[in-house]
Amino acid sequence: MTTPQTLPKRTRRRTRPLVLLRPVPGNSPVHRLWAGTKLIVVAVFSVLFAFFPGWGTIALVMVFVLVVARLAVVPRGALPTMPRSLWILLVFGAVTAAPGGGGPTFDVGSTSIGLGGLLGYLQVIMLAVALMGVCALVSWTTNVSEIAPAVSKLGRPFKALRLPVDDWVVTLGLTLRAFPMLSQEFRVLGAARRLRPRPDATTRRERWRRRSTELIDMLATAMTVSLRRADEMGDAITARGGSGQISALPSRPGTADAVAMAVVLGVCALSFVVQLAASG
Amino acid sequence: MKMSTASRRSTPLRPDELAHAAVMAAICSAIGVTAATVPFAAPLLTLGTVPMALLTYRHRPRVLGAAAIAGTVVSFLVVGLAGPCVIVISAYVGGLVGLVKRRGGGTRSMLAAAVAGGTVFGLGVAALLAVLSPFRHVIFDLITIYSAATANVLGVVPGLESGADRVRDAAGTMIRYWPISATAMTIVVMTSVNMVAWWAVSRVFARLGSIPDVHQLDQVADDRSVAPVPVTLRDVCFRYPGTDHDAVGPLNLHVVSGEHLAITGANGSGKTTLMLLLSGRQASSGTLERPGAVGLGQCGGTAVVMQHPESQVLGTRVVDDVVWGLPPGVSIDVDQLLAEVGLAGLGERDTAALSGGELQRLTVAAALAREPRLLIADEITSMVDQAGRETLIDMLTGLPKHHDMAVVHITHFNDEACTADRIVNLEGNEDNVDMVISAPVPTGRSASSHHVGNPLLELKGVGHEYGSGTPWASTSLHGIDLVVGEGEGVLIHGLNGSGKSTLAWIMAGLLEPTTGSCLLDGTPVSDQVGAVALSFQAARLQLMRGRVDVEIASASGFDPEDSSRVERALSAVGLDPVLAQRRIDQLSGGQMRRVVLASLLAREPRAIILDEPLAGLDAASSRGLVTLLTELRRDTGLTVIVISHDFLGLEELCPRTLHLQDGSFPTTSSPTGGTR
Repeated sequence: MTTPQTLPKRTRRRTRPLVLLRPVPGNSPVHRLWAGTKLIVVAVFSVLFAFFPGWGTIALVMVFVLVVARLAVVPRGALPTMPRSLWILLVFGAVTAAPGGGGPTFDVGSTSIGLGGLLGYLQVIMLAVALMGVCALVSWTTNVSEIAPAVSKLGRPFKALRLPVDDWVVTLGLTLRAFPMLSQEFRVLGAARRLRPRPDATTRRERWRRRSTELIDMLATAMTVSLRRADEMGDAITARGGSGQISALPSRPGTADAVAMAVVLGVCALSFVVQLAASG
Repeated sequence: MKMSTASRRSTPLRPDELAHAAVMAAICSAIGVTAATVPFAAPLLTLGTVPMALLTYRHRPRVLGAAAIAGTVVSFLVVGLAGPCVIVISAYVGGLVGLVKRRGGGTRSMLAAAVAGGTVFGLGVAALLAVLSPFRHVIFDLITIYSAATANVLGVVPGLESGADRVRDAAGTMIRYWPISATAMTIVVMTSVNMVAWWAVSRVFARLGSIPDVHQLDQVADDRSVAPVPVTLRDVCFRYPGTDHDAVGPLNLHVVSGEHLAITGANGSGKTTLMLLLSGRQASSGTLERPGAVGLGQCGGTAVVMQHPESQVLGTRVVDDVVWGLPPGVSIDVDQLLAEVGLAGLGERDTAALSGGELQRLTVAAALAREPRLLIADEITSMVDQAGRETLIDMLTGLPKHHDMAVVHITHFNDEACTADRIVNLEGNEDNVDMVISAPVPTGRSASSHHVGNPLLELKGVGHEYGSGTPWASTSLHGIDLVVGEGEGVLIHGLNGSGKSTLAWIMAGLLEPTTGSCLLDGTPVSDQVGAVALSFQAARLQLMRGRVDVEIASASGFDPEDSSRVERALSAVGLDPVLAQRRIDQLSGGQMRRVVLASLLAREPRAIILDEPLAGLDAASSRGLVTLLTELRRDTGLTVIVISHDFLGLEELCPRTLHLQDGSFPTTSSPTGGTR
């Protein structure tokens, strides 16, 4: 048997992984909202940002995200750890934008420093962060199985335009089903590659060749495995006599959804006012 | 590769089209997510075009459309706006490449198409910018900022002052004439992306060349009313197109409602072909009579449950999967069906969290939702652990008693076949010897008496938690202490979800345990990945080259020209050197496992870990593999660690057995008899 032994503690960087398409456990009012409402909210905020990308809108949406996250009891741990390279990239972007100068200015003694460059850069970054926050809220509070039925209901008007909405919805549901399976397979594929020896490459040309060969190897294997998976899935669909129903539970909005939509529209109206006030 | 011949543009997607669109959309989203979240991974974007190109190449445009929409929604949910951008570009570029490939065009026609398409795309981008004027200003401000920054920095460098003005002017001109510059830049960028994608797609297509279409079931058009049983086969033979011998037959068989029939036989004896005949394929000769239509998947028709548990479940929530595909308006008692297959109370569960056995039972529930008159189960237990296997068989045996149906159970397990009313063996009588006899669970023995040589792998207090620090944290292993000596044979046995695979990954150095340490010769094994070989359950994922000899050479790090080494590697695992020239996709499951083994052993690893080496193999192949490994261990002193839920014939290969239960080795390993 092994003898118990005290080990020198190895310090490991604890990084929180990016967890995809899995809701934070819980049953908050936000969790209970109809998935379609959440999708509409994301779409509304995207449009809002496209037309009012000012600081006012950014701040309002950020506040909205934080309040909803609190309501949904999303712990801080749900946020993945940002890789260090991303921080470096962000700082690099800021440092290179800063000499752009321009108003507003900030006076230090006799010299005035233009903050315009930095602010412009920050605005774009914060815009992206705010929108990502809205999307993250949806994926933190929505069970994936509710998405396809909700899209089915939302897409119903488009059937009048003879668009194949049913095909899209069934494909979407199957994509959500296949996504974790394929992710797992790609994880194994990556591990299998790590177990293989890497041919020596000293010159840049050799390194490029090695890298491109590795890439094609992985891609070809991934495609082969996925095509097999797709053939099997096709058999499974055939075995059920083709597509038809996709959900056993009803999918429709309720009173809470009306309230949520009202709040969102309020935020939009407010940012409209703020933007007008700022520009005029 | 095959192209679909269907030009019916406006009909709904067929099952295979749906499945291909969904799987390709999932790959594309996975790539899109990576490209959008990992810094400097933007070049990955070109990879996303490969699945879309393949889809366009093989199917009609409608399939690409469905995949693009599905991928857009999924990636949008995951990473926000960046995701859909990646998907839209992938679908556009991939679609164009696929179309050119489909028409048989070369690089020159690709370039022409890329420029033409890029122009349209560029005009689209300009139009979008025209509509979204506030957003446009934010982007232009950023361009102005960066050009000003560059100019300001250049301005203070002596000798480069003139460059500063040029940068400022260039940016100014670009913004002033933005519709032209945006269109032109889009054309240049999209054309370049297109040409890179063309290169990648061409290389991948060349590699995929003759990728087999492994789909088995086809919908059969039949106007008669659905009535699949009783079915009578008289001298039925079946020959696959392009082969010169019958895959099965002549067969005589009569299946009536209310009976449970077992079909046995080794791999290649035509069991699956018989399944295809019963589910509607036309026989090549002989007569096959049934009172009405087969009605595959229809109410009162034929239901088929197949081998791979994961692939057959189509819903993401258990209750959704039960009703999946039922005609609109048909309502059924989902709870009662789930109770019948032993999944009562699991209705709200995510299907991704179910074990193999549970997934198979769910598939049976979905089959029962259609009240089939004929249920065909094709090797449904080969990927399921022992406990799951027993429940599944009990359930199957009970079905004809409670329903008006016939059950045809295809299996290569002897004890499973015995539960049937009648057994039909598909190849003579001597095959019975080849049947797999499920082995009783061996007693866990005390670890101390089996140390063969010096300690090789040492695990001290190893624990692993996935998603540490997140709300999704789950402990997979805890408090694992284990020493594996040189030349030892160890079986680590446990049910699905007991942490077996995590342990295998840790021992191979692929995962760093969150607590404790895993040492090989005294240093962490995670610092010496490759020293411990690992053969994954999915052998296909470990074969990355198109041909056997190239694969072995690449995976073991020697020159593919060195045919004598390839031959030696092949014969070391009992494969005929003739196979060296064979394409990977022409190998059987057992051969694939051996090729993986050949490559791993050629690197002379310190130890080899085999994760479920026998899953999906028939009697003869698994016996052969075990014998081979036993000999290798005896003759070369190789350390072998087998991770499995099977015990069959492993006693000699692995004299030491450890039971992994809920992520740890219980202090007293006890004989369990397989009923847990």
